[in-house]
Parts: sequence; C-alpha cells; structure tokens
Amino acid sequence: MDKKNTSPIYWPWLPAAFALAGIIVFIFATFGPPASSSGFVSVIKGAVQTVAPEYVENNPHYATMPDTGSWLFAFVLGMAIGGFAAGRSGRIPVKDIPKIWEKRFGNSRIKRFAATFAGGFIILFASRLAGGCTLGLFISGSTQLAVSGLYFGVLIFAVAMVTARLVYGSTGKEE
Amino acid sequence: MGAEIWLGLFSGIAFGFVIQRVGATNPDKMARAHLMMEGDIPKFMLMAVILSAIGLLGLEAAGAANTRVLPTSLVATGVAGILFGIGWGFCGYCPGTTWAAAGEGRLDAVFALIGGLAGAAVFAHLHEFFIPLLYDPFNVGQITLADWTGSRPAAVVLLVFIFGLCIGAINFLWKEKNGGQIP
Repeated sequence: MDKKNTSPIYWPWLPAAFALAGIIVFIFATFGPPASSSGFVSVIKGAVQTVAPEYVENNPHYATMPDTGSWLFAFVLGMAIGGFAAGRSGRIPVKDIPKIWEKRFGNSRIKRFAATFAGGFIILFASRLAGGCTLGLFISGSTQLAVSGLYFGVLIFAVAMVTARLVYGSTGKEE
Repeated sequence: MGAEIWLGLFSGIAFGFVIQRVGATNPDKMARAHLMMEGDIPKFMLMAVILSAIGLLGLEAAGAANTRVLPTSLVATGVAGILFGIGWGFCGYCPGTTWAAAGEGRLDAVFALIGGLAGAAVFAHLHEFFIPLLYDPFNVGQITLADWTGSRPAAVVLLVFIFGLCIGAINFLWKEKNGGQIP
C-alpha cells in the first residue's frame, strides 16, 4: 500500500479562523489594532531617512508612522518568517505563477512579476489613502465595529470580484 | 530591543503561519475566491472578524483593550476601497499576504512587495496633495456601529448577524467543487 498522506493540505477555514481571532485579540491586548500596510511605510521611512533625513522629517505621512524599530515593522517581518516556517513544514506547493494566471496569460514570469508589481503598487497606494488595508482597516476596523472598516470591506470585496471576472474571463470555468 | 519588538515579531510569526496554512497566501486560491469558485478564504476572514469582535468585547470588559478606530472619509475611504479592489482582484495579494507569501518563497509576491513599497513611498510623497483633497473635507469622524445601536454589545450582535449572513450567502452562492483542497 502506498503510504500517501491523505490529510488535507490546507487547514479548514473554521478552526483557522479561531486561531487567527486568538492572535488578533492577543494583539489588541498587547499592542493595539493589528496592521500591515503601516509596516510598508515603516520600511520606507527607515530606508529614506538614512539618505534624506530632512525629507522624512518634513513629510506629514512619515510623521505619523514609526520607523523600522517598531512593532509595525517587527510584525510584517514576523509574517515573512511565519510564512517561511509554515511553507517549509507544510505540503502546500509553492509556485511563482498561480495556475489560473498561467492558464489565462501563459507562463511568462516577466509578465506575472510586472503584474504583481503593479498590483502591489495600487493596493499600497490605496491603503495609505484610506489609512489601512485588509488587515489594518477591514479586519481591525470591523472588529472595533468601525464604519470605515465595513465600508472599505464591502468595496474591496465587490470590486475585487468584478476585477477578477474581467481579468480571468471564463478561464476558471472549464475545469 | 524592547518588549514591543518581540511582541510584534511573535504576533507576526503566528499570523503569517496561520494565513499560509489556510491558503490565503496562495494567489490562485485568492483568485478562485474572487471568482466565486472557492469560499474558504472569505469565510475564514469573515469568521475571524466575528470571533475577534466578540473577543475584543471581552477584552474591553476586562479593561485590557487598546483600540483605535480609523475615521471614515466618504470619498477617500471609498476611492481607496475601489482602487484596492482593483489591485487585489488583479494580482491576488493584499499587503499582509505579500510578506507571508514572500517568506513562503513565492517570487511573484516579492515583486508585489516591492511594488507595495513603491506605492507607499509615492503616496507618502503626495500625502499633502491627496489628504486635503480627498480625505479631510469628507471625514465624518470615528463613527462605529455602536453610535447607531446605542451600545457596543448590541453592535457586536448586529455585526455577528450581518457577517453570519455573508458566510451563509457564500456557502450558498460559491460553487465549491472539492472542498478547496486544490493545491
């Protein structure tokens, strides 16, 4: 008999939600509302202030954010470590190009990387305009019953669903 | 290093571990969620909010919660939500997942992360132009559901009800084929 591991490779969503909520409540108790787009600002602030300290000092956006010696930066760095540890100890296959993207646009790495660069640019630009992202505004905000988080959440889900339809067309359908 | 750094690092490691294991760092799974083919990730997110809101209520009762509600700017939050949705639907990453996915070894996430750093830097540079234009004039303050329901526990009940309905709708409308276990 083949001794194949037949347990699911992904955690089921319900226990995973309990685990995540436990972490989120821990963060509210030990720090404040969790956020990840702020970590990007901390990285940039830390980098730019070493070459142009005056620019950072006079910029109102950086004034509201700590630099890399902060919880916010430690958190995003931790997420990378956590992703690494989970990836190495699990069985979820890692691909540089998602399957559905490959089906729709081919296996050009340049094309996919250019697309994610552009996508990353847009989501962070938007997050900084709103003051938070999926975590910092939608999840943190909704947990605190904030209208801003709920309003942002409705829009990001609705628009992402329309965008995915436009991007992928009927690609996913033929399975 | 202060305790804050260690707490942040520990919280991040736990958070990144969980979102990788549930599949939220996989842009294929995210795209399939947006295409209504797989409901796991949105159900996971909504349920995490429900449970966190209940947990936070307990934390507040114990006087141990550190909260900070972001204001709602009708225009800035709205425009940002639309832009964010376009980027999220297009690339399948959100800011938090790019870090965990990059750590996992997904090269496209590394590019999303670099793009994100560029986007944050450009916004910071244009902050003085955009915030007075789109954010401040339409800022209606730090409003919450509790302003409307009168009490925080009642607002949590309302939130649980709405998010529960959304999870039910996803169960009903998303065409799941194999329990989301496609690699």
